[in-house]
Amino acid sequence: MASANSKKINLKLKVWRQKTREDAGRFEEISAQEIPVDASFLEMMDIVNNRLIKEGRDPIAFDHDCREGICGSCSMVINGNPHGPERGTATCQLHMRKFHDAQEIVVEPFRATAFPVIKDLSVDRTAFDRIIAAGGYVSVNTGNAPDANALPVPKEKADDAFNSATCIGCGACVAACANSSAMLFVSAKVNHLAVLPQGEPERERRVLRMMQTMEDSGFGNCSNTGACSLACPKEISFENIARMNAEYMKASIKRRD
Amino acid sequence: MQKSLSYLSSAIGRKQLMAITGLVWSGFVLTHMAANLLIPFSAELYNKYSHALITNPAIYLAEGLLVLTLLVHIANGVKLTLENRGARPQKYAMGTNGSKAPRFQSTWMIFHGSLLAVFLIWHLLTFKFGTDYQIVYDGVQMRDLHRLVIEIFAQPAYVIGYALCMVGVGLHLSHGFYSSFATLGFYHPRYSPMIQGLGYLYSFVVAAGFIIPPLYVLMTKAN
Amino acid sequence: MKLDAKTPSGPIAEKWSKHKFEMKLVNPANKRKHTVIVVGTGLAGASASATMAELGYNVVTLCMHESPRRAHSIAAQGGINAAKNYQNDGDSVHRLFYDTIKGGDFRARESNVHRLAEISPNIIDQCVAQGVPFAREYGGTLSNRSFGGAQVSRTFYARGQTGQQLLIGAYQAMMRQVDAGGVKLFTRREVMDIVLVDGVARGVLARNLVTGELESYAADAVILATGGYGNVFFHSTNAKMSNATAIWRAHRRGAAFANPCFTQIHPTCIPHSGDYQSKLTLMSESLRNDGRCWVPKTPGDQRPPEQIPDDERDYYLERVYPSFGNLAPRDVASRQAKFRVDEGRGVGPTKVAVYLDFRDAIKRLGEKIVSERYGNLFDMYEKITGDNPYKVPMRIYPAVHYTMGGLWVDYNLMSTIPGLHVLGEANFSDHGANRLGASALMQGLADGYFVIPYTIGHYLAGTPLPKVDTQHEAFRAARAEIQGGIDRLMALKGSRTVDDFHRALGTIMWDQVGMSRTDVGLKKAIQDIQKLRSEFYEDVRISGEKSYINPELEKAGRVADFLELGELMARDALERKESCGGHFREEYQTPDNEALRDDENFCHVAAWEYAGQPGRTNWNRHIEPLSFENVKLATRSYK
Repeated sequence: MASANSKKINLKLKVWRQKTREDAGRFEEISAQEIPVDASFLEMMDIVNNRLIKEGRDPIAFDHDCREGICGSCSMVINGNPHGPERGTATCQLHMRKFHDAQEIVVEPFRATAFPVIKDLSVDRTAFDRIIAAGGYVSVNTGNAPDANALPVPKEKADDAFNSATCIGCGACVAACANSSAMLFVSAKVNHLAVLPQGEPERERRVLRMMQTMEDSGFGNCSNTGACSLACPKEISFENIARMNAEYMKASIKRRD
Repeated sequence: MQKSLSYLSSAIGRKQLMAITGLVWSGFVLTHMAANLLIPFSAELYNKYSHALITNPAIYLAEGLLVLTLLVHIANGVKLTLENRGARPQKYAMGTNGSKAPRFQSTWMIFHGSLLAVFLIWHLLTFKFGTDYQIVYDGVQMRDLHRLVIEIFAQPAYVIGYALCMVGVGLHLSHGFYSSFATLGFYHPRYSPMIQGLGYLYSFVVAAGFIIPPLYVLMTKAN
Repeated sequence: MKLDAKTPSGPIAEKWSKHKFEMKLVNPANKRKHTVIVVGTGLAGASASATMAELGYNVVTLCMHESPRRAHSIAAQGGINAAKNYQNDGDSVHRLFYDTIKGGDFRARESNVHRLAEISPNIIDQCVAQGVPFAREYGGTLSNRSFGGAQVSRTFYARGQTGQQLLIGAYQAMMRQVDAGGVKLFTRREVMDIVLVDGVARGVLARNLVTGELESYAADAVILATGGYGNVFFHSTNAKMSNATAIWRAHRRGAAFANPCFTQIHPTCIPHSGDYQSKLTLMSESLRNDGRCWVPKTPGDQRPPEQIPDDERDYYLERVYPSFGNLAPRDVASRQAKFRVDEGRGVGPTKVAVYLDFRDAIKRLGEKIVSERYGNLFDMYEKITGDNPYKVPMRIYPAVHYTMGGLWVDYNLMSTIPGLHVLGEANFSDHGANRLGASALMQGLADGYFVIPYTIGHYLAGTPLPKVDTQHEAFRAARAEIQGGIDRLMALKGSRTVDDFHRALGTIMWDQVGMSRTDVGLKKAIQDIQKLRSEFYEDVRISGEKSYINPELEKAGRVADFLELGELMARDALERKESCGGHFREEYQTPDNEALRDDENFCHVAAWEYAGQPGRTNWNRHIEPLSFENVKLATRSYK
């Protein structure tokens, strides 16, 4: 099939290679030849990997799945920026037309104590699941629900909750944060549920438990640099963090135990 | 008791302590800066103001509060920074840049913060514990702080060092002011940008207000 | 093989209530003595895990991703149907039932579809209670939009991210149970085999994708909720890891595979643009609410779209289907796009695309409202293509999106292997030959929240289940077999990558088993696939090691299964000598190119029983006749 744009570029990749969790890891220089500019960053990695396999070398491990910016699997820090230079973009949505011929691209995994590297660019983000398990839900058993329209929710609130709820759990906020803090992730969930009447009954318990789990998982503390929001592929607002701070303070004061 | 203190040892609790103590000092530096502006105008007013301040019994309470908040601010800041460093033992080869780079002053708080701590000691040694000249106004004997200030600010090297430190104060405040509001939970899509603007204005005014008197002294009194 | 659908007797609207009453119950104290394995954490798997744990069962949940939240349900954009009739526009359970049966071109089981329609309102209630932020009106009530194949507005949505919001809701409900101890979650585990003891599903064998170890899990029942098999085409809107391995291995162990050839080609995807391409991206069907499909009237018209005046444009869906227009169902809209391209009127650099134009919608509603409705889709389009759809029409083309076929299940969602239940896209039950938009989310959640929690109890209470643990001989045998298969693949050291084979298979499938199929083409496809499969087992090259994370090895296992499944799809398409829904046989069409069904001979489900030997595939075809007592069999028309 003909290609929409036949332009191709060559790139010099400096990719982090790490065999196992325990391995120290190092950068390896790998060239990427004849990359169509319409290819996505992950497709570029596919092309490189297919060559490595044919040469009998170990392909670069990286997480990916939906390749349309919603599953949150893809990670990678590209030339210093999580998910690359474009705002509001996941690595899978980053296209090679944003790079130029002969450019050097440094590709690193997300780095944080709480996100240990498993192999190459693939990291373990199960800490996020633990944080959700600690309270990122409404405790309503199946079958207990009243009619969906029984409780009106103003559009502004629904939209507000939705904006927080668009988080894809990729961890770019942690990767970008100078302190490897997960505050944007946690606060997005806390606010999503705090804004809605359905989340009200567990509001205080939720923020306290989720924050406790975040701290216990080895994430750092927020220093309001806003780097998280800038790196977020869904551009989740930094406002979430400020609002969670208030939420947390209130919950701490009101707690009875 | 331990449970009740858990807020103060939590990540957000300690950040909020940083914010509150930071705001206390933001208030203090503003009044300090305002008083400094008396230096170029009138030695008498300046000395009288200083005298009133240090003879008021409340000064001990105020000083105690300042010392306490400062210690909390510093101890917490150091501890949080160490924890944050520990949250990423392996550094990146390249940092965030371009449209994803945060404002630089926000990621350097510990550096200008440390600079300010050193400056503070130097500053106290120079002035609070400096030469104790005396003067009498209207029959009341008091410390002639103005004379000491003029002496010190007549030294170009001192003024340069002092000015640089005040730039540090400005940077520290420009993130700290706005950041404190966010940490204490205030954020509003309409008002927060104003607070940020106000924070910049405030930190500029404070930094400039501290730099103007020594520059004035240097230019008029130096020989 | 006997196919007993176990459909309850009685009037259609009462079957489910009656069945719920008649089913055996497991008393609360006994529930915690039962362990159930759930494979997959998409809408169906996560909702089933959460609900069964709430009931008190011990649930062991396995997912191949690093986190359950990555399951591909997350990518569903448009919405979820429910017969709420909130819009007062004449919707009802019966209408949703009717639309789904008709949309499926009369190839789905009436009883299952009616149950789905009955349950649909409860799903919305449940999701709202969980905090799913559906779109709302200023007054605070839920908002609806219309979708292809329906003349009422019954689709609930959360901007263009409905699947994400529903999945996160189910995921959260499940994580709550993980915290409470009801669900034991194992991530990065790929199920490689279903373990049968005395003919009953009693566990699974999974590969730990990090350590490479094979792990055994024993239970009283197994639930597969592993999604569809669209990736057999290589290029599809499915996620890269979506695969058929679990259902395929179950099929090889005795689970019948129903209607494998029923594949949905989604009309609005971003067109293919080059050989490097790894997947196709869907643009939600909801775009057709306000976008208008057109091609130039003159073949080979080279002018940019904005320079082509209205009277030289062919708004072909509005022309051919005046009453449904741009909202014609997916199979119909896809085929129409293909016809236009085949006529030489395709657009864009490859000429394999049609326009989806928002010019008139922007004129009518303003850019702001259009952006509120579709902003994220427009952004997504612009990122991929570099074109701004507010200024120039989108270029779209059909792509493989969903597979209606799947493992055969009875009314209780149990496959032909006792104890093995199948939910969501992995089963075949509700969509017939074509699925209506916004119905996949509905089915996944219906199965997981509201069907399996009842039917699993019925199974457990009514089946003698002697104690089985992972030391049982059946686990050891399965483990040896799977390990042998892995060793064999790793030892090949051939010259072609797994992706090479996958692409080659995809090309065969798309050309011969895609949007339109012929007797000759299908026979050729079967031969080509067999040839490709033998090449695969001689020449595939997998680098890396088997004892640690190795994505190439994972892909190889999946592609090996696709190479068999592809053949079965072609065989099924070959045997089904009619056109219906997504299955279009060129030999069977009306003079104006509409699908020509043969209710006399093919009003049935084709369920294939695996009868192959090592190294040789073979199947027996069984049928489950379909009877339509509540909807009159009619020619499906959207004109």
